[in-house]
Amino acid sequence: MIRDLRKRYGARTVVDGVDLDVHQGEVVGLIGANGAGKTTTVECIQGLRRPDSGTLRVLGYDPTTQADQLRPHIGSQLQDSALPDRLRVRETVELFATERARNADELLDRFGLTSRRNNAFGSLSGGERQRLFLVLALLNRPQLVFLDELTQGLDPAARRNVWAAVARLRDEGATVVLVTHELDEAEVLCDRVVAMRGGRVLDAGAPSELIDRHAKWATVRFTWTGTPELYADLRAVAGVRTVERIDDRLEVRGDRRIIAYVGAELVRHGPVPDDLTVEVPDLEAALLGLLDGATPEKELEAVA
Amino acid sequence: MSTAIGRLVRAELKLMVRDPLVLTFVFAFPIVTMLIIGGSFGTTPDPDFAGAKPSHWYVASYLTVVIAATGLIMLPVHLASYRERGVLRRFQASGFPRFSFAVAQLVVGLLVTAVASALLLIVAAPVYGVPGMHLPARALIGIAVGAVAFVSGGVLLGSLMPSARSAQAVGLLLFFPSFLLGSGGPPPRVMGSALRHVADVLPLTQVTKSIRDPWLGLGTATNSLIIAGALAVVATVVAARRAAL
Repeated sequence: MIRDLRKRYGARTVVDGVDLDVHQGEVVGLIGANGAGKTTTVECIQGLRRPDSGTLRVLGYDPTTQADQLRPHIGSQLQDSALPDRLRVRETVELFATERARNADELLDRFGLTSRRNNAFGSLSGGERQRLFLVLALLNRPQLVFLDELTQGLDPAARRNVWAAVARLRDEGATVVLVTHELDEAEVLCDRVVAMRGGRVLDAGAPSELIDRHAKWATVRFTWTGTPELYADLRAVAGVRTVERIDDRLEVRGDRRIIAYVGAELVRHGPVPDDLTVEVPDLEAALLGLLDGATPEKELEAVA
Repeated sequence: MSTAIGRLVRAELKLMVRDPLVLTFVFAFPIVTMLIIGGSFGTTPDPDFAGAKPSHWYVASYLTVVIAATGLIMLPVHLASYRERGVLRRFQASGFPRFSFAVAQLVVGLLVTAVASALLLIVAAPVYGVPGMHLPARALIGIAVGAVAFVSGGVLLGSLMPSARSAQAVGLLLFFPSFLLGSGGPPPRVMGSALRHVADVLPLTQVTKSIRDPWLGLGTATNSLIIAGALAVVATVVAARRAAL
């Protein structure tokens, strides 16, 4: 639980009154562009940085004054934090394993690192390194896991691989705070998303709620060679905003309901085109406007 | 060893013996230079060496070359690279106790110094002979205090350097004058007075004196031991604070 967290570096305000609640068993995504204040926020939560003001309570501890008691209960995969190049995977796990540690071999196996046990950290690929960081983050049975820019710089295959690992974590009931600027990542993995910009929370909610709030529209496209009366009928459909026609191609835009209504009109007029496509916005589309362009007034509207 | 310090010491020792910089400067360099310089001035007692055999003079001096290489090169580069790469932050975030890393570095530094020193004496024994210690307690205290002073100083230096490269540059810049004037170079009596003054203010000179003089029976070097002791206390206190997680 965080209330009114604030942090400045010199004259620059990085976190400007952030409130955040994370419930047990939840995967919460902190999303926003670089410089939105995400990493600073989670560093304050972990007691790695001292906030200028605000109330923090994490697992019953105040991270500002009780970091030593708090940290053993936290698993953390840090952004921009490596390991010694010559340390082998097996030795790394031994180094980080406290008396509470779970079976390291089982974890390495789960994250596909068993065959790399005797390899040095410096010889691992980007994806393998991130998976090793995940192993370390989970090793000591943490109650709360922080994953910061987990898939940064990974190729798509490695990214999917890491996602699958986090999804398994979620399914096991772990409480996870995921920091990312990749909106598709947040949509796939998070129960709830907190969008940040300029050190402030713009909006928070389940991915589907955010899509509903910020991107309710849908686009239906198809080729039409049948009766021209369809055009006028479509324009009269409830929820339709625009109908555009280029030669035989039609594009109908409006709110989500139009998917059903346009379908009904097509059935009524017939024959139903066989190249029908429906585009509905994802979380990325929902948040891009919010994160990139919104004015403070619009942000307030959106939050309200 | 399942305490945080134990786990750190074990991992760090493995890393040290895999590090070419450590193998070169802490293990090989002192032995090679001792063999060359110790052999250059012969084995007959020489007034320039305060009446000691030059070869024995250098055997008794060279433990501080190991100490200086550990404190001025190995530890600063190692720590600075950890800070640069975010390894320290990872230790911090992973719940390692506050002083565990600093203590582990001190232990590792002292262990590496002890092993490298033993190796140096093992190589010296059949070649030049290892001189018996006139005041063994004093000489051993000098070794211990000097090692703590430089190992802590190395941890401190590493915590101040912004990058491994800068730590290496500064470390080498401090190491070679200290090595040449304060331990493994010409004896003070053949230096000009200006050079001797410079040598006298070098911490390594004081540590070398506090070991060599009681070892070879050239004096007790109490003043040097006090200076080395003061350095050890200050460096350890400041280093522990600076390298706290």
